[in-house]
Amino acid sequence: MKSKEVDLHEPAWNQAELLERVENDGELVRELLAIFKGDFPRTVRSLEAAVSSGDLKNSGSLSHTLKGMFSNLGAARAAAAAASLEKLACAGETAALKDAFDVLEREAGRLLPELDAYLAEVRR
Amino acid sequence: MRILIADDEALSRKMLEKALERAGYEVTSVENGKQALEHLCKPDGPRLALLDWVMPELDGPGVCRAVRRRSEQAYVYMVLLTSKGSKEETVLGLEAGADDYLTKPFNSEELRARLRVGERILLLEDRLVEARENMRFKATHDPLTSLLNRGAIMDLLARELHRSYREQKSTAILLGDVDDFKRVNDTLGHVVGDEVLAEIANRLIGSVRSYDFVGRYGGEEFLVVLNSCDPAYAPARAEAIRKSVSSRPIQTAKGPLSLTMSFGVLLSADWGPRTVEELLHEVDLALYRAKDAGRDCLRIAKPDEKTEGLRVALPQPVRRTR
Repeated sequence: MKSKEVDLHEPAWNQAELLERVENDGELVRELLAIFKGDFPRTVRSLEAAVSSGDLKNSGSLSHTLKGMFSNLGAARAAAAAASLEKLACAGETAALKDAFDVLEREAGRLLPELDAYLAEVRR
Repeated sequence: MRILIADDEALSRKMLEKALERAGYEVTSVENGKQALEHLCKPDGPRLALLDWVMPELDGPGVCRAVRRRSEQAYVYMVLLTSKGSKEETVLGLEAGADDYLTKPFNSEELRARLRVGERILLLEDRLVEARENMRFKATHDPLTSLLNRGAIMDLLARELHRSYREQKSTAILLGDVDDFKRVNDTLGHVVGDEVLAEIANRLIGSVRSYDFVGRYGGEEFLVVLNSCDPAYAPARAEAIRKSVSSRPIQTAKGPLSLTMSFGVLLSADWGPRTVEELLHEVDLALYRAKDAGRDCLRIAKPDEKTEGLRVALPQPVRRTR
C-alpha cells in the first residue's frame, strides 16, 4: 500500500509547484510555511495519540487534514503517506495504523528540513 | 463580488483568500460548515461560496443541502473543494446541491475561471428576477399613477379585513372620487387629466402611513385602506387625507388647478364580518351621499337597523353623477 502511491524519486517538497500555484508570490509562500510550521506539530501529535489509542475516527480526520496541508504545500510524498493512513483508518484497519503513521512521520522528517532551509535562504 | 470561503484548514484558507483577493473578490473566511451556513443564510449574505468537503460541525455537502432547502432567498452558487476523487463522491456533492466542484490542490486560474461561470449564472438569475419583478409590478399596479390597481388593492383589502377581524381591530376603507373631474378632461384635455390623477395619487400616498394601501379603483376613483385604524381617529384621518388634495392647487401644463375630492368612509369594526363586496357597496353608498351633500366632504357608512334589515332586498343604487 505504501509503494503504490509514493514515488521514491519525487522530492519531499516541490517548491516550484507551490510557487507556480501561488503565482510566484514569495511572500505568500513564507506565510504558508509559517502557518504549516505552527499547525503541523500540534496536528501530528494529536494524530499520534489517536493512532496509539486505536481511535479510527480521529485518525481518519487528522490524517485527512495533514493530507490537505501537505498537498497544498506541494509535498506529494508526505501527502501520499497521510492519504494511506486516512484510507486505513476509514477501512477500520486499526492494526496497520501504527506502521502507516511511522511512514508519515518519516516523510515529514524529510520535508521539514527542506522547508527550514528555504526559509533560512529567503531570510538572508 | 463577495465570496465565502469555508475551510477548516488554515493553510488552504490562506491560499484561497489570496487567490480570490487578487481576482478582486471581497472575501469572508470561516472555519466550519455551521459558520458557513449562518453567513449564506443572511438576507444579504455572499452569493458565491467555496466550501471544503470535510469540515467540523457540518460538512460541505451538508451546507449545500441546507442552503438549497431555503426557497425565498437569492440563489447561492456553491463550489465544493475536495481531495476526494471518486465519481460517486462527485455525484454525491452535486446531488447535495453544489453547482461545481474543484479538486485540491487547486490551480488558481482554474478556480477563477470556475467562479466566473458562477458569476455568469448569478447575473442571469438577477436578470430573470428583475424581469419577473417588473412583470409582477405591471400586473398589480396602475401604469399612470403607479398605485396598486383595482385587483391588487381588492386582494389586499380582503386580507386586511380577515386580519383585523381575527385580531379584533378595525380597518378603515376610504373610497374617494375627484369632484368634477369630467370637466377637467373636457375643458383641458386628457393629458392634463392624467397629470391631475398622477398628482392626486402622490398626495394620497404621501398622506398615509407606510403600511397603509392606496389603489386606483376606477377612472378617477381611489381606494385607501388604513390598517389597524383606531375608530376614534378614523374620521379625522380621512379628513386629513381628503384635504391633502384640496389644500393647495395642482400644478399642470395648463396652469394650477384647484380640485376637491369626496369620500365615503367605512370602519370594518362597525360592520362585523362581511365580504369585501358588501363593504365596498356600503362605502360606495356613503360616497354617493357625500356627492349628494354638495361634494368636497366625506360621509361615514354606519349600519342602520332600518336599512340593515332591508339591505339584501334593496335594488342596486342608480349610478350617481359625478
